[in-house]
Amino acid sequence: MSMRYTEVFNSIPYLLQGVGTTLEITIYALFLGAFFGLLLALARVYGGNISRRFAILYSRIIRSLPLLVILFLLFYLGTEVINFSEFQAVILALAIHTSAYQSEIFRGSIQSISKGQMEAALALGMSKTQGIFTIILPQALRRAIPYWGNEASIVLKDSSFAYVLGVLEILRRGEFVIARTGQALITYIIVGIIYLILTSILTKCLSIGERKFRIPGL
Amino acid sequence: MKESSGSQVYDIKVINRKVNNMTKPILRIQNLHKKFGSSEVLKGLNLTVDEGEVVVIIGPSGTGKSTLLRCINRLETPDSGEIYLEDQKIEHGKTNLSRMRQKIGMVFQDFNLFNHLTAIQNVAIGPVKVKKIDKAKAMKAAERELERVGLKDKANSYPAELSGGQKQRVAIARALAMEPKVMLFDEPTSALDPELTGEVLAVMKDLAKAGMTMVVVSHEMGFAREAAHRIVFLEDGIVSEMGSPEKIFNNPEKQRTREFISKITSLSGEGSA
Amino acid sequence: MLEQINFFISILPKLWQGLVVSLQLSVGALAFGLVVGLPMALARTYGKGVVKSIAVFYIEIIRGTPMVLQLFLIYFGLADVGLVLDRVTAAILALGINSSAYQAEYFRGAILSIDDGQMMAAEALGMTKRQAIINIILPQAFRLVLPPWSNELIYMVKYTSVAFLIAVPELMARGKMIISKTFKPIETLFWVGVIYVIVLSLIAKIVDIIEDKVSIPGFQMSREEI
Ligand SMILES: Nc1ncnc2c1ncn2[C@@H]1O[C@H](COP(=O)(O)OP(=O)(O)O)[C@@H](O)[C@H]1O
Ligand SMILES: [Mg+2]
Repeated sequence: MSMRYTEVFNSIPYLLQGVGTTLEITIYALFLGAFFGLLLALARVYGGNISRRFAILYSRIIRSLPLLVILFLLFYLGTEVINFSEFQAVILALAIHTSAYQSEIFRGSIQSISKGQMEAALALGMSKTQGIFTIILPQALRRAIPYWGNEASIVLKDSSFAYVLGVLEILRRGEFVIARTGQALITYIIVGIIYLILTSILTKCLSIGERKFRIPGL
Repeated sequence: MKESSGSQVYDIKVINRKVNNMTKPILRIQNLHKKFGSSEVLKGLNLTVDEGEVVVIIGPSGTGKSTLLRCINRLETPDSGEIYLEDQKIEHGKTNLSRMRQKIGMVFQDFNLFNHLTAIQNVAIGPVKVKKIDKAKAMKAAERELERVGLKDKANSYPAELSGGQKQRVAIARALAMEPKVMLFDEPTSALDPELTGEVLAVMKDLAKAGMTMVVVSHEMGFAREAAHRIVFLEDGIVSEMGSPEKIFNNPEKQRTREFISKITSLSGEGSA
Repeated sequence: MLEQINFFISILPKLWQGLVVSLQLSVGALAFGLVVGLPMALARTYGKGVVKSIAVFYIEIIRGTPMVLQLFLIYFGLADVGLVLDRVTAAILALGINSSAYQAEYFRGAILSIDDGQMMAAEALGMTKRQAIINIILPQAFRLVLPPWSNELIYMVKYTSVAFLIAVPELMARGKMIISKTFKPIETLFWVGVIYVIVLSLIAKIVDIIEDKVSIPGFQMSREEI
């Protein structure tokens, strides 16, 4: 370790300021994606013919588009057609991308709940909607937690693509530090460690959540 | 020995029913048809059940017993025919359907307890969500229902922590909590280990004694002998023969009925005595 | 509409060149990922002590950091210490290393799902552990790993788009070049997207056919299991 590195180490607080932005992007995208993903999954399992087909098509198309394509499409839409900021474009792009994956996660977990659960709900006089919200989803969402956690960590990592639009998250700040100090390797390693810490915290939180919501005996 | 005591029980039941004059029809099924694809399962079935009556339905596997029960509470939609509960037609309007289903309790072969809810929550959720009863009140009532099936001490256990017999008793309590007019049982003990069927059948017998109208698909001949007022032999999509347990067990009209009865009694180790 | 199609026809040759590069990157990265990933899986599953720790460390670090960062570290970071790679090599290396960690986990999942009895039966026949792994466990694991592995193949074609960030002329980069020339970003990206969708659907179809061909009846692991 020599003098060359001290400037990089002094920039760590500056890098860490990007954590807030990274988390903000991740959380917005993740929950927007969860909302739409859940709607799509419900459309897929319980919807009529048209909504089911739409959900299938949406999921297939979005899952075969690279995030960068979606990101640039939204960026140009944001500058040329509708008016939204780079920050919003990033969140929307990530949300659209993850919603397709989350729709598959939720669909799978909904379909894994046995048919008898809905039948028992209907037999009590519940409406289908009541059955979905009071009986099926509480069980399906629990089952989705591990897969959802995986997706959450993907979104966290993918949020680094925000740097291409100039959003000041961790990676972008890293680029600035490199431009100033000329130290690419050590800066990237530090950035990597920050991401590692974030993903491990996320994984920990989710496994705590999974345990907390576990149904006893199951 | 067993035979005669069985028929004595039956006689008392008949007398009770006569004295209380409980012969008002409560459930009427008329000309019920149901097809799955090209195979017709129910072919114009007729059946009337009186208030307070316990009807046990028997018949070969795949003959449409479950389909019949599921048509009654519209888990399956019949192709044609009518079903009336207390002179009200069961049909596919949203409010009608929920109202009718509230009056029909259903007990499934594989319990279908809500896995994410404790025993008491399973029992209370119907009254709370469907009847919009105050939660504290519903929990009180649920506790009474659990007590009735002998599971008060398991109130806070989750389904995965209960034995099969306990699960089925909670399922019965869950159906009873809606205060139904009729209870449907679809082979309630056939998913259970033999040593666990007794506790479920005991609960069902108590229920029968308390005057609940019950339609029970079951091949538990001991239960049929002891608790049934009428046995219905379903075959080929229609009621092939029916009558008092005594008649069906000892003097069936049709050769098929006789064969079927002797097959199931020998399988369950009864009747060989 | 006609105008759109004419535009598409005019940009198709460039996009086609880009697609070829994308596919080349995918094949290279997948192959690299397999060559590194499989030993990592074995090391993590059967290894002890340092060997196992290294495998766990490698896999978890890669799975815990963004792909872009890995790419930049390899291309810009290594150049810093005098290891200058050309763009395509850097891209294949980065994508390959990234893929190797995921492939290692697919293989590990497959190996773990194979019954312990298989290993015991092999050892009972007098095989060494090493022989048993090579002759009994791995042939089964290869079949089991096919569904997740084909997902990896499909997504790899998508992932290669990150190579555009270090100016490898793959499909996405070609799209950006066309945009800066024609100033038609939305139309261009639309057609780039169409190509990705078509190519990925085709690959998915082919993979399905192959999976059907090599499956052993009654012996499979659903995609969810891993
Ligand atoms: N949802 C369904 N779709 C297609 N066929 C069905 C369905 N439900 C039941 N069946 C068929 O209808 C017949 C009667 O079934 P069921 O009523 O379950 O018979 P049981 O309860 O008397 O054994 C069987 O041949 C069964 O395969
Ligand atoms: Mg049945």
